[in-house]
Amino acid sequence: MTDTDRFDDDSTAIDREPTRERVSVPTEIELPRLLDFYELQTDNHTRIHAFYDNLREGRLTTTRCLDCEEIHFPPRIVCPECTGDDLEYVDLPHEGELYAFSAVRGGLPIGLREHDVPYVVAVVDLGPVRLSARVDGATHDDLEIGDPVTLKIVEIDGPTDEERVFYRFEPVPDGDSA
Amino acid sequence: MGAATRNVAIVGGGHAKWGERDATWKDLAQEGGKATFDAVPDIGPEDIEGLFVGTVQPERFAYQTHVAPMVAELLGIDVDAMIARTELACASGQAALRYAWLAIAAGQLDCALVLGVEKMNLGRERMPEMQGSMSNVLDREFDGVNGLTAPPFFAWYAQRHMHEHGTTRDQLSLVAAKNKNNAATTDFAQFRTEVDPADVTESPEIAPPLHLYDCSGITDGAAGTILMSEEKAREVTDTAAWIVGSGQSSMAGNSINNLPSFSGWPQARTASRTAYEQAGIEDPLAEIDVAEVHDCFSISEIIEYEELGFADRGEGGQFIEDGRSRLDGDVAVNPRGGLLGCGHPLGATGVSQALEITNQFKGTVPRDRLVDGAETGLIHNLSGSGSVHSVMVFDRDPK
Ligand SMILES: [Zn+2]
Repeated sequence: MTDTDRFDDDSTAIDREPTRERVSVPTEIELPRLLDFYELQTDNHTRIHAFYDNLREGRLTTTRCLDCEEIHFPPRIVCPECTGDDLEYVDLPHEGELYAFSAVRGGLPIGLREHDVPYVVAVVDLGPVRLSARVDGATHDDLEIGDPVTLKIVEIDGPTDEERVFYRFEPVPDGDSA
Repeated sequence: MGAATRNVAIVGGGHAKWGERDATWKDLAQEGGKATFDAVPDIGPEDIEGLFVGTVQPERFAYQTHVAPMVAELLGIDVDAMIARTELACASGQAALRYAWLAIAAGQLDCALVLGVEKMNLGRERMPEMQGSMSNVLDREFDGVNGLTAPPFFAWYAQRHMHEHGTTRDQLSLVAAKNKNNAATTDFAQFRTEVDPADVTESPEIAPPLHLYDCSGITDGAAGTILMSEEKAREVTDTAAWIVGSGQSSMAGNSINNLPSFSGWPQARTASRTAYEQAGIEDPLAEIDVAEVHDCFSISEIIEYEELGFADRGEGGQFIEDGRSRLDGDVAVNPRGGLLGCGHPLGATGVSQALEITNQFKGTVPRDRLVDGAETGLIHNLSGSGSVHSVMVFDRDPK
């Protein structure tokens, strides 16, 4: 018997309407943990919590290897240079220079919708390390490569009850550069 | 050192239509698979011993994981040697090709399907969800968290290249116009409208100095190729793309602080030199006829001219200005239309590039973009923050 024969067979003809029921899925949910861009920062979540603890106190720090003296960024728990894990936190400069920058005009990721566009995102050269960061308090056209910028700390509201912080930069006011 | 122990050929393949598709990831995989088998009539699902699926984020874009067995089921492939999904961000398709090549070269199997698939468009109103997934290609905790997506990241490279080497805004526009115009004859391409260089800076500014036409698309698509050992390939075709070299380099950098440069990609230099050495290429500009390179943004192609050895460092802008990368230039770069013209369905891009080289050798691309007498070709992809670069070299004849 072929498949076609089976479906043509009167014995399997539809003789009753299927039951129907309406089910629903939620239209709104809390921002899922894995769409929250900011890391959970405390010692019960991450082994680099000291970086965030220091930042909350107003210090930008990173790890340095006590075996080979390599400075890392982002902070680590294992030195990628020598695989040692005897690391200490050291202060980074709070002032640096714009190495490269552009502006975000739109297309913001979900979870960062609170950010106002356009905003400047840059590579900031701090000397020992170069990092990516938002630059507040300036438009793209205000800035040039080499401009001095200084650390700013933002406190993150929601969606968890944890106190969370992150770093940004802003231009050093005229005549105020170190 | 030779490239591998057995010669491996790409014998053919096919594409799903690329663009904003009213289709699911599974639909695209089936369309790409069918187009591939249709293009290689002597090979069917029953001949496939190994399946390699290049795809970046089906988990986020299509809410589906473990996709390689899904493709095997959808295409009726009873895999009996090797099956894998590869993820290397924008080079996932090229990674799949590399593993299939190695498996065949090592004698583990004789016939593989490499299928690249990506479903990226969720509807315009859901773009933030897609953009979130793209930020996570970077180190999300320290870089993605800054709202750093691809356009501002590559804008930094444009700014630094202009700053260090005097590259001009007009030179970026020449790359974008060349590739979009090449795509006019590419039937599966997302963007087939011809543009003048002057149109590029008239398009909306996305991330200064980059405008919309400097940026590749957000694309749904699929592309497939059949790879075979020499013994089996000879039974189905006279003309194929033989893989004669393949290199990769990461230089242990992924987050912003650990990238070696913001105006160049020494990883591409290293990866290409590995591939050239395997392929016996000493003068890439003289010896490579056709190149499909990763023009995710116009600036990328200018830097790639330099790192792949077509132009001296800092001279990439002059290279396009002198027309040396046009179809009738010293090396035809992105005859298919590149990512700027075809769009960039992440996992499918590398597979599509390799298929273009294959079809250039076969002479089956439209006359308008056929590179006459092409004997040697390459594909290049960077991935994520440009942290990894992959280069594969092809020849019409196995060495
Ligand atoms: Zn160390």
